[in-house]
Amino acid sequence: MSDWISTFPGYEQVLTTAKKIFGKIVQTGPVPRHVGIIMDGNRRYARINKIEIKEGHSLGFDTMASVLELLYESGVECATVYAFSIENFKRSNAEVKWLMDLAKLKFEQINQHADLCEKYGVKIKVLGNKRYMPPDVARILRKTEELTKNNKRATLNVCFPYTSRDEMVNSIKRVVDESTKNHDLIIDESAIDRHLYTSDSPPLDLLIRTSGTYRLSDFLLWQCVSPDCSLVIVDQLWPAFRPWHMAKVLLNYSFNKYWFGHGNGYTTSNKGINLYQSSSVIDLNDGKSSSGYQRYADSEWPDEDESEEDGEILEDIEEEEEEEESSGNSSGIERERDDEVDTVTSSESDSNKKY
Amino acid sequence: MTTSKLADHVRSEANVHTSMHDISQEINVIDSSVDDDKLGHQPPNSIRYNGLIHMIMITINELFNVNKLKDRTKKQTESMLGLIQFYIYHFLLLFIYILITIYKKFQTIYRKFFIKFYTLIYHHNNSPQLIRDDVNKLNKLPKTLSCILDLKDKDDEMGGIDGLINQISELTAWTLSCGIPVLQIYEFNGKLITNKSLLTKLNYKISKNLAKYFGLNNLPNYSIKIPHENLIIFGPQNTSNSEIDLQIHLLSRIDGKPTIVELTKTMSELAINKELTIQDISIDLIDEELIELVGPEPDLLIYFGPNLDLQDFPPWHIRLTEIYWEPENYDVNYSILIRALQKYSNCVTNVGK
Repeated sequence: MSDWISTFPGYEQVLTTAKKIFGKIVQTGPVPRHVGIIMDGNRRYARINKIEIKEGHSLGFDTMASVLELLYESGVECATVYAFSIENFKRSNAEVKWLMDLAKLKFEQINQHADLCEKYGVKIKVLGNKRYMPPDVARILRKTEELTKNNKRATLNVCFPYTSRDEMVNSIKRVVDESTKNHDLIIDESAIDRHLYTSDSPPLDLLIRTSGTYRLSDFLLWQCVSPDCSLVIVDQLWPAFRPWHMAKVLLNYSFNKYWFGHGNGYTTSNKGINLYQSSSVIDLNDGKSSSGYQRYADSEWPDEDESEEDGEILEDIEEEEEEEESSGNSSGIERERDDEVDTVTSSESDSNKKY
Repeated sequence: MTTSKLADHVRSEANVHTSMHDISQEINVIDSSVDDDKLGHQPPNSIRYNGLIHMIMITINELFNVNKLKDRTKKQTESMLGLIQFYIYHFLLLFIYILITIYKKFQTIYRKFFIKFYTLIYHHNNSPQLIRDDVNKLNKLPKTLSCILDLKDKDDEMGGIDGLINQISELTAWTLSCGIPVLQIYEFNGKLITNKSLLTKLNYKISKNLAKYFGLNNLPNYSIKIPHENLIIFGPQNTSNSEIDLQIHLLSRIDGKPTIVELTKTMSELAINKELTIQDISIDLIDEELIELVGPEPDLLIYFGPNLDLQDFPPWHIRLTEIYWEPENYDVNYSILIRALQKYSNCVTNVGK
């Protein structure tokens, strides 16, 4: 149905405005700072709709641009997309070549319009093991990183070619290497965190996987097992995933975080909050933090004093809401349609070999 | 550098036996009476507040709370216009929240009904034969099943250590009836692992529960393994020579990221002593070590809670694990297990394109 609507004149304009308004609304509540996306289902979509596989990948790319636009409008600081798995090299040569060509084409477009990137303020980073990349692609990607490195507003991490195990091994190697040079180095979880590819990004808050597969497929494993991260699995295939679905996910996250203190909703385990806020230990049973959101707000701003409690109004309700996600916003909100560039693949081939 | 040597290093660092240590004899001597109160503070539960009236009242409170709003918007903009703008947008957001609350109420009712319905359809009736019949319809079974259990408040239904032990013993009986060879139990705090008298209790409960399912004469053989301590406990009547039908692995947070850190430490020591070069570290090496130190990669992970929370589950091990949880479910329930197994068996056919 949405197909014929999109043929109306001015549809794009309306969509962009809607995204802006939605972004402004959702920004007044809790918003995830770092969103990871597993863009799965391009090939299945192509097969179902009887189009060529490369058409599917191309459509997936458009979806990504559109979804990322919404994410950045909503105040997400960092998005990490799973573009190409190391395991994807096991696919047919033609497909790998086509994906590489798509990546080259899109990144070259970005490089030619470097001033646009600057205007939109998106920093593009390529995560992954560069050894596996063909040299010509690697050169173009490096140039893109170089051109956008000074942008501050938001970050786009493109995982290309990436697997989480490779990332962990890489991190362990670097820690071991550092410890041989510096014998006093304390090796703990934060040391490994520091050497992960995502070390400059905020902690992962939300991981989205499309096409109804309940598997992580080697993506951001170390980051997403954290009790603070919520995993959302949607049934749509990636090219069929619309900003509207993304908006639903964001609203749901926001509601759950606000209401239950966890992006997934009510959990019987609130262990993570204690664990990760060890600097300011919160007693979850202190009677004041009866709602999840309050705990969330308190934990984000531990030094906020309690003096502002409004005793008169509904004193039996002890909810006090702090707002913190509403930073910045509204200034440079432009379209970023041409900005994020990447190939989009599904990452299923790694699962195949298992069975 | 042989691989077993690396794992041994990690273990000797942690003062753990380097060879598998059988404590079945030891623990049976210890008195099984244990005081729950001595186990320390248990993870708190949050109190659920999502009544509609409550929600509306908070919204009203929020609206009147102008001082607060000013404070909040300071970070955003100082101007009056910005304040009003923020006010409007936040009001809209709260309005959307109200709609979501109403929607979720109905969803909860629907899901609770749904779970009740499935609980009626699938019931084990303490009979391995019935479970076997349910499982025989499936075309694929996981080799390793992993379950995340919550240690609930003592006052809750099936709460406290006793509840946890009960849940594990039930799961043991079900997985044995299904014919799954390895069962991993992940509990964040690792309360069971650190206390030997609790292990005695667990062992006793499991064998008692198995007797209920299988009868006293043909009790299956099982072993309880604690990878982090490298300890193993055999069931009451079997010796280490007889074949094991089910291995139970008890995992906790310490088997996740901290074990990877321990491995890194060991490797860095070896690297400093020039016994290991950085080029030697590879995915295969670490995979082998972690399988040795923690256990196999689970094929299916079931979380018996209302909303998924991975709780620092060993990150290396969930690469291709199928994850299952049922919204609005709070119990360890046979119908959840069987639905998870059904989903797992269906997924395999979907994946093979």
